[in-house]
Amino acid sequence: MRRTGMVLLLLGMLIAWGGSPEAVAKGIMIDGSTTVGPISKSFAALFMKKYKVPVTVSESGSGNGAKSLINGSCDIADMSRSMKPQELAAAKAKGINPVAHVAALDGIAMVVHPSNPVRSLTKTQIADIYTGRVTNWRQVGGPNFPVVVIQRESNSGTQETFRELVLDKRKVVRSAETQASNGAVKNRVSQTRGAIGFLGLGYVDSSVKPIAVNKVMPSVATVKNNTYPLSRPLFMYTNGTPKGMVAKFIDLPKTPDGKRIIRELGFVPKY
Amino acid sequence: MNLGTRKLLDRSFTALGFGSIVIMGLALLVVLAPIASKGIGAIVFKGTIEHRKLLLNEFHRGDAAKIGKEEASANEYRQKVFDMLSEFDQELDGMDYEQQSKYRGNYDQVKTALRGLFGPLPGDTEPALTRFRYGQTRWDKAEEKLHDLLYEQKWDYSNPDVIAKPYDVSRAAEFEGTSLVKLFSYVEENLDKMMLPEWTVYWGFITDKSIDAHFFGGIWPEIQGTIFLAIGAMVFAFPLGVIAAVYFTEYAKDGFLTSMLRSANSTLAGVPSIVFGLFGLAFFINTLHVSHSKSVLAGSLTLAIMILPTIIRAAEEAILAVPKTYKEASLGLGSTKWNTIVTVILPAALPGILTGGVISLGRAAGETAPIIFTAAVSVGAAIGLGDVLNSPTPALSWNIYNLASEHEAAAEIRHVQYGMVLSLVTIVLLLNLSAIILRARISKKLKG
Repeated sequence: MRRTGMVLLLLGMLIAWGGSPEAVAKGIMIDGSTTVGPISKSFAALFMKKYKVPVTVSESGSGNGAKSLINGSCDIADMSRSMKPQELAAAKAKGINPVAHVAALDGIAMVVHPSNPVRSLTKTQIADIYTGRVTNWRQVGGPNFPVVVIQRESNSGTQETFRELVLDKRKVVRSAETQASNGAVKNRVSQTRGAIGFLGLGYVDSSVKPIAVNKVMPSVATVKNNTYPLSRPLFMYTNGTPKGMVAKFIDLPKTPDGKRIIRELGFVPKY
Repeated sequence: MNLGTRKLLDRSFTALGFGSIVIMGLALLVVLAPIASKGIGAIVFKGTIEHRKLLLNEFHRGDAAKIGKEEASANEYRQKVFDMLSEFDQELDGMDYEQQSKYRGNYDQVKTALRGLFGPLPGDTEPALTRFRYGQTRWDKAEEKLHDLLYEQKWDYSNPDVIAKPYDVSRAAEFEGTSLVKLFSYVEENLDKMMLPEWTVYWGFITDKSIDAHFFGGIWPEIQGTIFLAIGAMVFAFPLGVIAAVYFTEYAKDGFLTSMLRSANSTLAGVPSIVFGLFGLAFFINTLHVSHSKSVLAGSLTLAIMILPTIIRAAEEAILAVPKTYKEASLGLGSTKWNTIVTVILPAALPGILTGGVISLGRAAGETAPIIFTAAVSVGAAIGLGDVLNSPTPALSWNIYNLASEHEAAAEIRHVQYGMVLSLVTIVLLLNLSAIILRARISKKLKG
């Protein structure tokens, strides 16, 4: 009895190993940016309802999204920045041809704790804060309170875009705290009085206070007309020109439903 | 040492041991009690008419006629609120521009708060996202939203040199002198008639799929994924572990190679779990291509590698604990070595081997890091047994992290997070319990 059990177990193992991995209708796999995550997740729900095609969404960061696309392990890579030359080179070496599609527009909102009376900072002031030249809110016209600088991890597309747009590739001060996602930054800023952080526009809510950059508040209007200095497109990358269901998914931002979802989530439709 | 001192030492030692056990129990209670109480809140809570509407529309559950009747009675009360809104709209139209702009911003906030309570207002276009299509489905949340409607939180920025303090402003006061002022007291007094709270036991939390990224619905895909991953890990790790343990105890000769293998095994047990996750991605997915991308199979294999050392160790100890006389008697009766191992030693060691398996099973179910890159996704449908080879899956451990930190509305769906944590704890406890019972039955059979 017991021996047959063991044999069955081993057989099961063999079947699991040898089983053909094709079978079943393949769904769409999406990996990448946490900022684009809410859009992808809502699109996925819409898509599954409409076309009955399974869609899975992982939020592991823009960098990992790019890697997944290059390794051929996802159909769509969400990215909150464009692909870097070295990523494009790696893709080329593997015979992958990344094509960018703009899913929506976004502004990187600078947020502080709601108790902070500072309403506006210039880009230079923000750069000074993040490079460590400003360590107290008093130096930028605020109260006498130490600044807690919060950034994202190196895998984050938001972090890369922020560095490019604000810091001019200078290094972030060492004492900066690193959080792993938009949600974590929001959480930390909403609980820390002297904190400053940055978020995708769709993540801003009443628990944090967005501030104006160069006297322009981040909003749908200012991102759309490109007056907000920290605006950026959000991308969905595919391997080559998408076909079939993937193409349908990529085109969602152009459909009325897609545009409404993007708007309701707090992002800015491009089309 | 004289007797008195010895007794004193003895007693203090006993007290210390007892004390530490009590502290551990209390700590466990402090952690588990809130998890249990808040987690149960995901299943048993005061649900509103919006919740019953949601169940009917999205899952076709509930008595349509009864819900229709309830909805009609709730709408009767809500209609007065909507009437007040349109009355104020007219009043607003009659005002001059300056007055209008004075009220406009606050009025929009009031409308947003009302949408939070009741769902879309008359005249709104149908929202695309499910989360905006319904009002508050839970009474406790509805009461929170009521506070948002009645009071506006403001910050005192009058002195730019100090960190501001929050204070509540009554919205009714902001609309003093207009027709809207009566809306606030009306909503406050009649909220229960407009929301119709009722104690609800929502088992669907366990068996339903999630709707709109966990805003509504249940966590079945996550539970299923967790079970698939844990069982899958056992399917690979358990036989391999037992075979390795038999080799170590019965066949391996003490030498350089064996001691190397043993220390490799111990080292493997101490490797941080995220390393296994990266290894799984690099080895199983990118090198061996066991699946096109993340999959339950790749995740199970990674988890299996992670729990293998524990299983080998436990099995080894269990086999070594079998009395030598058993083996000698079997061999003395003319049995072969292999036969002795399979029919005498392994059955006698089985309870101990299972213990190791149990501990590993619990660990496999709860680990997050190894499955981040190999199996887990934040949104995905429940998968069937046929999909395990090439489909990724949501899993409790990863989704708890995802909902608590990354989700765009983490603060709105705390009850789902607690529900998930309780489910995970329960699954691990149940797995352990069933294996303990199995072990007890086997050892009873061996003795009898």
